[in-house]
Amino acid sequence: MSYEGLSPELAGEVLTVALKRGGELAELYVEERSSLSLRLEDGRVEQAVTGVDRGASLRVVRGVTTVFGYVDAVNEADLLGLATELGGSAAGQREAIVVVREAEASGKRRPPEPERRSAHTGARLLHLVDESARAVSREVCQVVASYGESRQRVWIAGSYGALAVDDRYRVIVSVTVTAQRDGLLQTAQDSLAYVGASSSPGEDAVRGLAEDVAKRAVTLLDSRPAPAGRMPVVLANGFGGVLFHEACGHGLEADHVLKQSSVWAGMVGQRVAGEHVFAYDDGSLPGIWGSCSCDDEGVTCGRTVLIEAGVLTGYLTDRLRARRLDLGLTGNGRRQDYRHLPYPRMTNTFIGAGKHKAAELIGDTPYGLYARSFSGGQVNPATGEFVFGVSEAYLIEKGRLTAPVRGATLIGSGPQILLAIDAIADDLEIKAGMCGKEGQSVPVGTGQPTLRIREMTVGGTAA
Amino acid sequence: MTGYGNSRETGNRRSPLEVAKSVLERGRRLHAELEVYVSYGRTLEIRTFGGELEAVVRAEPRGVGIRALAGGRMGYAFTADLSSLGLDRAIAEAGEVLKAADVDPFAGLPDLPERPYPVLAGLWSPEVGATGIESKVRMALQAEAAALAVPGVETVEASVYFDEEERVALVSSRGVEAEAEQSFCLVYTWAHAGEGADRQSGVGFTAGRTPAALDPEGAGREAAEKARALVGGHPCPTGTYAVLFAREVFAALLARIAPALSADAVQKGRSVFAGKIGERLASACFSLRDDGLAVEGPAAGPFDGEGVPRQVTSLFERGVLCSYLYDTRAARRAGSGCRSTGNAARSGYRATPTIAASNLVVEAGRGDLAALVRRVGEGIYVESVIGLHSGINPVSGEISVGVAGRMISGGELGRPVREVTLATDFQRLLGSICEVGGDARWVPLYGSVCTPSVAVESVVVSGR
Repeated sequence: MSYEGLSPELAGEVLTVALKRGGELAELYVEERSSLSLRLEDGRVEQAVTGVDRGASLRVVRGVTTVFGYVDAVNEADLLGLATELGGSAAGQREAIVVVREAEASGKRRPPEPERRSAHTGARLLHLVDESARAVSREVCQVVASYGESRQRVWIAGSYGALAVDDRYRVIVSVTVTAQRDGLLQTAQDSLAYVGASSSPGEDAVRGLAEDVAKRAVTLLDSRPAPAGRMPVVLANGFGGVLFHEACGHGLEADHVLKQSSVWAGMVGQRVAGEHVFAYDDGSLPGIWGSCSCDDEGVTCGRTVLIEAGVLTGYLTDRLRARRLDLGLTGNGRRQDYRHLPYPRMTNTFIGAGKHKAAELIGDTPYGLYARSFSGGQVNPATGEFVFGVSEAYLIEKGRLTAPVRGATLIGSGPQILLAIDAIADDLEIKAGMCGKEGQSVPVGTGQPTLRIREMTVGGTAA
Repeated sequence: MTGYGNSRETGNRRSPLEVAKSVLERGRRLHAELEVYVSYGRTLEIRTFGGELEAVVRAEPRGVGIRALAGGRMGYAFTADLSSLGLDRAIAEAGEVLKAADVDPFAGLPDLPERPYPVLAGLWSPEVGATGIESKVRMALQAEAAALAVPGVETVEASVYFDEEERVALVSSRGVEAEAEQSFCLVYTWAHAGEGADRQSGVGFTAGRTPAALDPEGAGREAAEKARALVGGHPCPTGTYAVLFAREVFAALLARIAPALSADAVQKGRSVFAGKIGERLASACFSLRDDGLAVEGPAAGPFDGEGVPRQVTSLFERGVLCSYLYDTRAARRAGSGCRSTGNAARSGYRATPTIAASNLVVEAGRGDLAALVRRVGEGIYVESVIGLHSGINPVSGEISVGVAGRMISGGELGRPVREVTLATDFQRLLGSICEVGGDARWVPLYGSVCTPSVAVESVVVSGR
């Protein structure tokens, strides 16, 4: 292809046209993404899909109104046509020339060209997943494995005068195993995710993933119904971080704060958790799934302290909300692709490590639930009410893990649950996930060390 | 011929069908069977906040998806680049990527259908494109104002007018040639009532195939009244309760149960409904059909995602499971004369067709909400649900979700309940249905479902 991104000169020209009728912000977002996905089921790679997305979008903010449009192309005529449509071409209007310079760090940020793995390599890994999972037990009745690889290159230029460039390469291998016994079906799921050109899944890692997931599915066949009611809950490290993501993270996204539709609005500086609780959003962690060099508004990603020693310290912003709320930029303006408006979104959000050992947290609990694997969650930021799904859990009786129990939803309200975190272990881990908001899905990391909630509602059937 | 979907680019003003046919022609050299899907869309989203226009989002997504089948291997490639170069590249990629797939004895494209495609009047309305943006902004503002006019409502977080027009074409080397267009409009409002820890939310909506069919003020009032009804709620004691599901909640549950009715899930051993055709799994008062021809439902159309005519398929008849949902591949695998039920769904040109329900329609019973509340007597009226994705496992059939609503006591709605969970499974839920109302409504928010309010005898609710 002859096309190679966006030049500062063309960006300046397009933004100048876009602001012909005035406006406080104009921004051009150019994207090229190539993707490959494979799906295995019944021992066969049944789906092999590849494609290219290439296009550009423009938004113009005038007063309280944002106008947004896009084209599935990136040539000069299309971009200027879009700018004219959104900016208006009326003669005699005021016109400020926008000059765009390539962001200083931009050149340095360019990673090495990723080595694109062939579809055949992906297919081989999926067969390895299938064989490894089925070898665990004859009760494994189905293995669904998928391989996804994408390279997304973005060029972002705004009337703030800078052009940022990012090159994002991601690979993910996911597996869902179904185990069956006497008509009872149980499932387990997990994935390995890589971001950046220098890392990718190897055979040992993939085999380990498949065996672990298969063992979990088989274990669940022996599980009994989960208890119902309020009790202490110990959440395992890693994807247990979905607790913080739902209970607090979404409510700290500045769009909810701006509309006064977050329970956390106006709470900065206040105590929201015990002194042992620290929480962060960090889009700059190398190799972690939600990381980028810059967000989708060209702001360099970094670490934002959200909770320091139990005190709420900040919100996650994008350019629009930072301006309206008079807050700093945190590098959280993210979007699914060029067809969508950016919103404040989490990158990698996690609770910091504590001093205890995970085993101590369980040993110190007379009766409760140990939640080991999770299936995601949801929150209403306005009410703070959230749920998250536990897919694999064990009863804690007299400080020991006993019977495995089926999945159950845990429910609570954000402000109450943060205050109920009474012990944090030292085993921080961050896992990959996809986060949905405003109809857009973006990759995020969610993490935490093993931690204990003094008491929360467990939604089982064993009343 | 309509104006939308035409590119701003010059030289690409061809109809979807013309583009599809040209891809088929260009792809001959691949020596593979080909199926080409082309979609031209136009969408508009208007958001208001605080009585002002917050955002206008215009989009004209266009793209091509190509399925290629050779030697029993299926590959798929997509692109939004409709230039000759872009199309040729996608054709070549489809031919290349299929080599990574394994031979699938059941893979195949459908033949030219024996019967003509059904003609569905009113799927597309010229009014959607002809209505000015000012009137659409007004509708979002009207919904917002109607919500704010209800006492107790503190804020309206979003009031949205959305519409879309889409024209699709599908052609294949087996002779399929199909083209259709549809339009859809929606206004939804999200209101909050109460303050601080006592705040509650409600969603209201109105949908149709033309702007004139919408009732924005009704949507605003609905959001407000739903939010207000829940203010002051507390968890109820953990226990077993009769539960009456509001239509929007039962629609959401059904949309998550439907994947277990896919023949693909059944054949691959990941459905609790496998091997149960002819068995009474649900209560006798429950009948459910998949209706791809009901124009009121957003999923209606003359043909599915691989060019098979849409149809009406009975899934539960008086509680008895009578069919699964099939696409061409699953029907071949089932053998013995089984045919596709026209349930190959496309989520867009980027995705391969997969089995999914079109419009799910629950057969209405009798009685309005007040009558159902009286008939239930004692229990919980569940008006909102959270955690559908993480809390419903379509393979094991287990359900555990967060809910809010109001207590039912003495045959009347009482104090609000919040922060509780409800746990059951697909078969227990369907098998314990005791009341089906006569108040059916189309709910286009989670897939497309038309259902009345539905009550079940006993469910475990976990609270305080």
